[in-house]
Amino acid sequence: MLELHLGGHLAFYAPQKQSRFNIPIDQPTDLGLILQQLGVPLAEVAIVAVNGELVDLASTRVKPGDRVELYPPMGGG
Amino acid sequence: MGYGSTGKYLRVDLGSGAIQEESLDESFYRLYPGGKALAGYFLLHELSPHTDPFGPDNLLVLANGLLTGSPIATATRFTAAARSPLTGGYGESEAGGYFGPELKLAGYEAVLIRGRADSPVYLSIGPGGAVLKDAGHLWGHDPEQVQDQIRTELGDTKVQVLQIGLAGEKRVLFAALTHGLRHYNGRNGIGAVMGSKNLKAVAVRAHGGAYRELAHAPQELAALGQRLAKEVRNHPQSWDLHEKGTNALVGGLQAAGILPTLNFRSGGFDGADKIKWEAYQQEILEKRGTCFACAVRCKPEVRSGGPYDLNSAYGGPEYEAVAGFGSNCGVDDLQAIAKANELCNRYVMDTISTSATIAFAMDCFEHGLIGPKETGGLDLRFGNIQAMLQAVEQIASRQGFGNLLADGSLRAAQAIGGNAVDFAVQVKGQELAMHDPRGKAMVGLGYAVSESGADHLVSIHDTLLQNPDSVGFKGAQALGLQHALPAGLLNDEKVANYFVCENWVSLEKVLGLCYFGPAPRSFMQVVDVVALVRAATGWDVDLQELLRVGERATNMARVFNTREGFNRSDDRLPARLFNPLEGGVIAGASISKVEFEQALTELYRLKGWDPASGAPTPEKLRSLELGYLIQG
Repeated sequence: MLELHLGGHLAFYAPQKQSRFNIPIDQPTDLGLILQQLGVPLAEVAIVAVNGELVDLASTRVKPGDRVELYPPMGGG
Repeated sequence: MGYGSTGKYLRVDLGSGAIQEESLDESFYRLYPGGKALAGYFLLHELSPHTDPFGPDNLLVLANGLLTGSPIATATRFTAAARSPLTGGYGESEAGGYFGPELKLAGYEAVLIRGRADSPVYLSIGPGGAVLKDAGHLWGHDPEQVQDQIRTELGDTKVQVLQIGLAGEKRVLFAALTHGLRHYNGRNGIGAVMGSKNLKAVAVRAHGGAYRELAHAPQELAALGQRLAKEVRNHPQSWDLHEKGTNALVGGLQAAGILPTLNFRSGGFDGADKIKWEAYQQEILEKRGTCFACAVRCKPEVRSGGPYDLNSAYGGPEYEAVAGFGSNCGVDDLQAIAKANELCNRYVMDTISTSATIAFAMDCFEHGLIGPKETGGLDLRFGNIQAMLQAVEQIASRQGFGNLLADGSLRAAQAIGGNAVDFAVQVKGQELAMHDPRGKAMVGLGYAVSESGADHLVSIHDTLLQNPDSVGFKGAQALGLQHALPAGLLNDEKVANYFVCENWVSLEKVLGLCYFGPAPRSFMQVVDVVALVRAATGWDVDLQELLRVGERATNMARVFNTREGFNRSDDRLPARLFNPLEGGVIAGASISKVEFEQALTELYRLKGWDPASGAPTPEKLRSLELGYLIQG
């Protein structure tokens, strides 16, 4: 299982505008692919943290048990 | 058919009690349509250089945006301006809510207030005219009581009451204004100026009527308003503001490593999970409020009660207060953060400067520059909730150690001595908002050059402009931006992007649009803003003319500061930002002094400002139809 959190307006694109998902995976999987399946445009993803470490979305594969946090560009206000 | 403006303003002399109605013609408003531009015009024309901010001659201006009160989501804002007691320069602060629309429909674009009343008064503006009334019985009372009392006296529960609190009465240098107990002109100490005039409140009631009576093409404007209201829910950024308000920022900035922590030492806070949006929603959120005709509805309100006996009458903490009293003071208790926010709101003082000044004091305390002897026993270690709350109380009442902190972090640092000034995270005397430029370079440039001191709302945050395919960058392309650039980069093209975005955001303050309306921050596209102005005014304006309106307003503020003696040396960042971040996921990041100075030089070149002094050149002033401001 993968624990995934869509922060900020990323949840706008997800099914039922949900922000938290437990995604069943049993082997290392391309994170971009998971996001595409959820309907999240990759261009809106600005920050990706896997288990608290910043990573690059393009090259990231996630594995069962990972905790993934994603955020869009955070403007001011 | 009108042009979106009443054309009229009120001039009030608190010394003599005289109140006059005056007007300016449509050609004037095309150059200075409202808000920041109108306020800057009056301050430049009616205020002599070096006027004592607390003297009777300081001018307090309340100025509506051109579109304020129109049936457009986020068109709610008005500007409060004066010579700032905190910075000594151009002072300005915007607020949304309901006061601006009410003033517009009462018939006025602005109120100019000069002089000092012999005893406390309030100004009442309504269908029966404008009068000064005794406020001796209101002085010293909380906003909730004052609002109720004034509404009772005027026999109308719909009167909008703009008022100062205890902090304004005590001339705390970052005292604010509030109306509706929810909406704040927070920055630059405008509340202290109002307090120095013995003016407790300005109460406004409209005659009735509606903005459409002022508009050139009311049906077109209404149709635009209806379409844009639907856009609010269909656009990802405004959807997010509607769902979570500003507090979604906590988690995102923590993940990015730029959540201000322990007086900007670090960009990562161990207790972030306890103060981020999900915790806020579970622990303290009651409901969301809004401003006049605004479908975004971004304002959180907290539940009453709890361990700190919260009072929901004063709304709830926005992101700035959550990070300011939270991560930046080392506090991970949302109830305590909400209490600190409530106290600031009750005493009517800026949550950003209050929290940042306390964080500064905590830093000094932990470095041994001050101790219990100097603080009167306050154990001002990071994370000490009781000490933080006591400090807020002491600042508002100017009691004990709070009397020193009530003058802001720069003056407090100068009084403390040693290297305390290195811990004062401020520009021109005003404390930084809770956005760290070590991860977004344009924000740092904005902090440095802003005429009102460190301000996070003078341009667009770089983070929105990093990806060429993102909603944010696509929204900014209509402004002429060519390339998406990394947030931390500070090269010439980034400076050019900053400049265009600064003119755009300045325009928002002239039109009365909230930062959460226009792209690239939110749902309202650039072409929509142009269409709104055309429908409201009938003017054949295009984007370039509107950007020049924004640029003109910024240049007027800059001329004001030049007259006060400000120069390039005041456009600098605090020492802390040139040090590496001590924690968080981008620990080690800092701003390069060389790059920053190069960027400043390039920005001055683009702006047409003298590279040595930072003053607008005569050529620039002439090009903006401000030739009459050329000095010498």
